[in-house]
Formats: sequence, C-alpha cells, structure tokens
Amino acid sequence: MLVWRPTLLCSLLVLLLVSPSALAAPIKIGDIHPLTGRLAKHGLESHQGVIAAVAEVNEAGGVFGRQVELVSRDDQSLPDVAISRAEELCAREKVVGLTGGYEDSLVGAVSEVARKYQVPFVASASLQKELARHGNPFFFRVAGLQGFVEPLCDFLSERLRPQRLAILHAATPGATEFAADLERCLQPRGIPLRLGEKFRPGTPDFVPLIAKLATLPADVIVSGGFFSDHILLVRQLKAQRLSAKAYIGPWGVAYETFLEEMGEDAEYLYGTSAWMPGITLPGTEAASRAFVERCRRLFQREPSSTTMHGYTAARALLAAVEDVLRRGQPLTGANVRQALAGLDLLLPMERLSFDERGDPRSYRHVVVQVQGGRFVVVYPPERATGSAVYPAPPWKQRP
Amino acid sequence: MWITALVSGIALGSFYSLIAMGFALIFGVTHAFNLAHGELVVLAGYVAYWLWKGWGLSLIFTFPVAVAALLCLCLILQRLFSLLREPLELNSIVMSFGLAILLQNGMLFAFSGDYRLIRAPALTEGIYVNGLSLTYGQLALVVLSLVAIGLLHLLMHHTYLGKALRATIQDREGAALAGINVRIMGLVAFGIGAVCIGLAGPLYGSIHYLYPAAGLQATLIAVTITIFAGVGRIRGLIVGGWLLGLAESAAVILLGSSWRELVSAVILIGLLVFRPRGILGREEG
Repeated sequence: MLVWRPTLLCSLLVLLLVSPSALAAPIKIGDIHPLTGRLAKHGLESHQGVIAAVAEVNEAGGVFGRQVELVSRDDQSLPDVAISRAEELCAREKVVGLTGGYEDSLVGAVSEVARKYQVPFVASASLQKELARHGNPFFFRVAGLQGFVEPLCDFLSERLRPQRLAILHAATPGATEFAADLERCLQPRGIPLRLGEKFRPGTPDFVPLIAKLATLPADVIVSGGFFSDHILLVRQLKAQRLSAKAYIGPWGVAYETFLEEMGEDAEYLYGTSAWMPGITLPGTEAASRAFVERCRRLFQREPSSTTMHGYTAARALLAAVEDVLRRGQPLTGANVRQALAGLDLLLPMERLSFDERGDPRSYRHVVVQVQGGRFVVVYPPERATGSAVYPAPPWKQRP
Repeated sequence: MWITALVSGIALGSFYSLIAMGFALIFGVTHAFNLAHGELVVLAGYVAYWLWKGWGLSLIFTFPVAVAALLCLCLILQRLFSLLREPLELNSIVMSFGLAILLQNGMLFAFSGDYRLIRAPALTEGIYVNGLSLTYGQLALVVLSLVAIGLLHLLMHHTYLGKALRATIQDREGAALAGINVRIMGLVAFGIGAVCIGLAGPLYGSIHYLYPAAGLQATLIAVTITIFAGVGRIRGLIVGGWLLGLAESAAVILLGSSWRELVSAVILIGLLVFRPRGILGREEG
C-alpha cells in the first residue's frame, strides 16, 4: 500500500506534465439556432455545421489543448425566445462567443444581447444591411446581401439580357433589400424591371400573381422567396402553363432536398450557391471533402449550403479563440472580438475576413442551373462547369 | 386575368373550407377550441406522405388510411377534452396549445424539419382553353369541398342525428335537458371532424407542402373561416371560404400581393362588427 501511493502520485504528475490540458477547463461556445418552429429545417442544418466545426477542432486535440464545449439553445424561431436564450448563454453559461442565427429577425435580437454582454456573435445566415449599420462592434456575419446581388446582376446583364424582367420577393427585410438592390444594379445596365411584387412567405396561392406575370408575359422571373415558396410557385407556374425563359431563385433552389421534393419540375431552374458538395472555392477541395465526410459520419446525411454557413461561422469564432490563446491573452469577449476583426481564413465557402462593420469582404455566390437532375455552375465563367440552357423549354415540351 | 383569379379564388376558398370543416364542427358541438387542429391536418398529411413515399401508394389510396389514423387519434383527443372542467373554452385552448407543441415536436422528430411534398402530377394537369386554365387540382378542391359540405348539410338537416347535433350546437344544456346525450354528440363531432381532417391532410401535402410547424397556418385558416361562417353554420363554411379566397385573389390583382392578408383582415374585422353571427347568420330581434 505504501509503495502504491507514491506510484499513483508520480503517474498523476506525469499525466499533468504530458497533457496540461487534461485538467484545463473546456472553452465554452454558445450556439443559438431555430431548432423548432417555422425555421427548424434551416436552423437544424446550420446547427449541424456548428457541431461539425467543433467536432473537427476537438478531434484535432482542441484549441491549444483545450476541448471546446458547445452549449446549444433552441430559439424556437421566435425573437423573444432568442433574446432570453442569448442572455442565458452570456450571463449564466459565460460563453466566450456566440454563433448561429437564421433570419434577420432572430440575428438582430441576438446581436443586441451580444453587444450588451460584450460577447462576439458570428451569425451564420443574415442579410439585412441595416443590421451591420448599428455600429455594433461585437456583431460579425459570414454572409451578406451583395454576395447574391452582384453575381446575379452580372449574370442577368451579361448573359440573359431579359426584355421583360419580373422580380418577386418575400416580405422580409433581407429579401426586400435584395429586390431593391438588384433593380438598382440592373437599371443602369439597360434592364428595366417590368413587374415587382412582394408576397408573404408561406403564401398558399400564387395563381393570381401568375396571372399578372402572364399579361407581360415575363421572360425572366427572379423569385426572392424561400425554399417552400419555390415549391409552390414553380408547381403553380407549371399548372398554369406559364413558361418563362428562366426562373431564378437565389435562396432555396440550390439544395439537394429541393431536387428530391420537386423531381423533374426542378429541371432548368436557376439558383445561387456559396457552396455545396462538389462546388467549393478553388484551393479548398480537400477541406470541403473532409467536411462532407464528417457530416455524413456525424449526421448520416449530405450537408447543404446552410450547413456550410453554420460551419463557417463556428470556424471563424474558433480561429479567433485560438488566436487569442496563441498571443497569451486572456479569453475575454473584447479579445476574441479583436481577433475576429483581424481574421483572414481560407474556408470552402469563402476567404473569410470582416470589414469594419462585421460584414464578410469576399462572400460571393455562383449561379447554378438544374440540368439532368444535378446542379451545374453556369456563372461566373471562371468557375463554370457547364453552359446555361437558355431559354428553358416550355412546360408542354417537357416530359 | 380576372377569370383566372376567379377560378383561383374559388379553389383557394374550397381549400380553406376543407381545412376549417373539422374545426368548425368540433368547436360548435363541444366548445373545445382546438388549437392543435392545424397540427392534426399536417399529421394527416404526413401519414399520406409516408404511405406515398415509403410504400409507393397513390395519393388517392392514402385518404382512407389518413382518415382511419385521424379517427383513432381524435377519439383519444375527445377523451382528453371530455376530462376538462369549466371554463371549457379557456381550458381547451391551454390543453390544445400543449398538444400542438407536442405534435409539432413529434413530427419534427419523425419527419425532420424538411419541407415535404406529395407529388401528384395529375393535379397540375388540367383543361386549357384560350389561355384560361382549370387544373385538376383546383377541380378536385372545389368538388371535394362541395361534396363534403353537401354530405354534412344532409346529415345535419335531414337526419335525427343531425338535429341532435344542431341542438347541441345551439344550447348544450337545453339539449341535455331534452334527453340528448351531449357526450355522445361530442364523440360524433370528433369522429366526423376526424374524417374531415383526414381528407384535408393529404390534400394539404399535395396542393401545399408539409413541414412540422405548418399547423399554425392551418389553424389560423380554420379559425378565420369558422368566424366567417358563424358557429355551426355548415353552408357558411363554403361561402366564407370562397369569399375569403376571392377577396385575396382580387387584392393581388388590384393592389398587389402584399395586400392579400390586409384585405382579409379588414373583411374579418368588418364581419365581426357588422355580422357577428357569421356571413349567413340571421341577426336576433
């Protein structure tokens, strides 16, 4: 017994020397997403991206030997719940940073809590320009409206050159700004807007709107609605036999699940994507493949662009935490914020660095078209994997 | 353009009345304000989706299974509601709110948060004449809602059971004093309501789309149409549905899509102020 005691003590000492992290407290990262409620689909996908990022770091030994603990909360797709969950994460859980958020109403609510507690918040999906204009130094996001508007504006003006363009959009702040910015960009390029209409997301019937489109008749329809709106609108366009030369859905079309649900009706539709399995930033192919493999292993499903947004936001936060520890600084919200402001990270979705407002500097989508049941990049030319089929065949000529 | 809007308005209104039918009947007879109604419609849709996707069943054959599944579930619900004490309306709101959350999370667990769609290509085909179109989907909605309303009307006005149900809707205590077993009437109302929900669900999944939180919208539609119709007024359901559908379509054509909900809200408020007993309701005195 007397022999065992010093042996045990020595073993413990060796363990501590070899792995000082063994007893170090984990680094707490807060994650807020709509895991239930109307935005659950997107929230769950983005949340999985955050889990994948944390798993990647922990599998590699953690951040400077310290494991990362993800503290997740469900905001139920409700801004008031998002506020209370963010308060809980900052005040009680003492997280060093927040990530997540889907849709501006939820992101805006969390960003104000982040400012109050001086805890940096890296939003995974947020578009509204106004949010970045509040001068909130603790707010960062990995997506931005210009990432959609610029490539679409170039594609429409350089390639499609529509005579009768219609822009429909959901009545959300981000989608409304998108429609206004796209129109503003196209007008000086000689492409006037013939019909602009706003609709409530989840509208049950688009037929009267389609009747208006038919009177033009619109040759190119840009629909700034969401996944579910495209499901209904495209089917009703088919039912009403309104064949536009191109239908472009910047949000919601470029998803494998969209193809699964729509089947052949998705053929020739255009979407935009910042990333999807097989479409990644040049030079990040290996990282992209590793991410896809990790998601398949963890969740038994293919990651989507939304999953990658969650991953990118979490990777930014983790890289900033690592930077703070590398400098030997205390892990405070202010120091993590400072590290985020100076971040420069090459990730599959984008080369991530933030401007003075917390917006990403080089977030840019590619334009894709559904051809033969898969997505083909048709714009910009340097990333194209095929040519656009334009005009799309009329509905009655399709099988 | 106007004819297309007219057809669309009537089809949409028929869709609304199909969703509202079960709610209106259950609320009228039992006074149970079932906030989980929309979730039940969506659940019936998921049952149909599961049969269609997993077992390759055609949409038409999913209806009987969805109806049977909802019958079982609604009879359990009726038992739960019957345990409630006064004030019945308030207590039923609280309980059904909990049920709605429970059902939403159950569906989220079972079917994930993804949007699901029952693809029935025949519903997007139709009759096309001189640029005008009537799809089989629209036709199915109108015919099915008219048949369902017609059958319900026959039941309510030409059978002894219907008379008993109407008596219970008008005055539960009076009906009980007259020897009508109001508990059995509640059971019947839940049973018929379940059939209506079982019919509406698969249609919801093929005309609209399914996701676990879609029930809220369906519940709002059901409550709105029931107010439009007036409690216990079966024919009013179809008239109310059509009025709302036509008003929404006209608003899109005349004012733009963003006015759709505002116009509906104005009509609803106007109706509550000027015709509180519903669109076909006769005022007292």
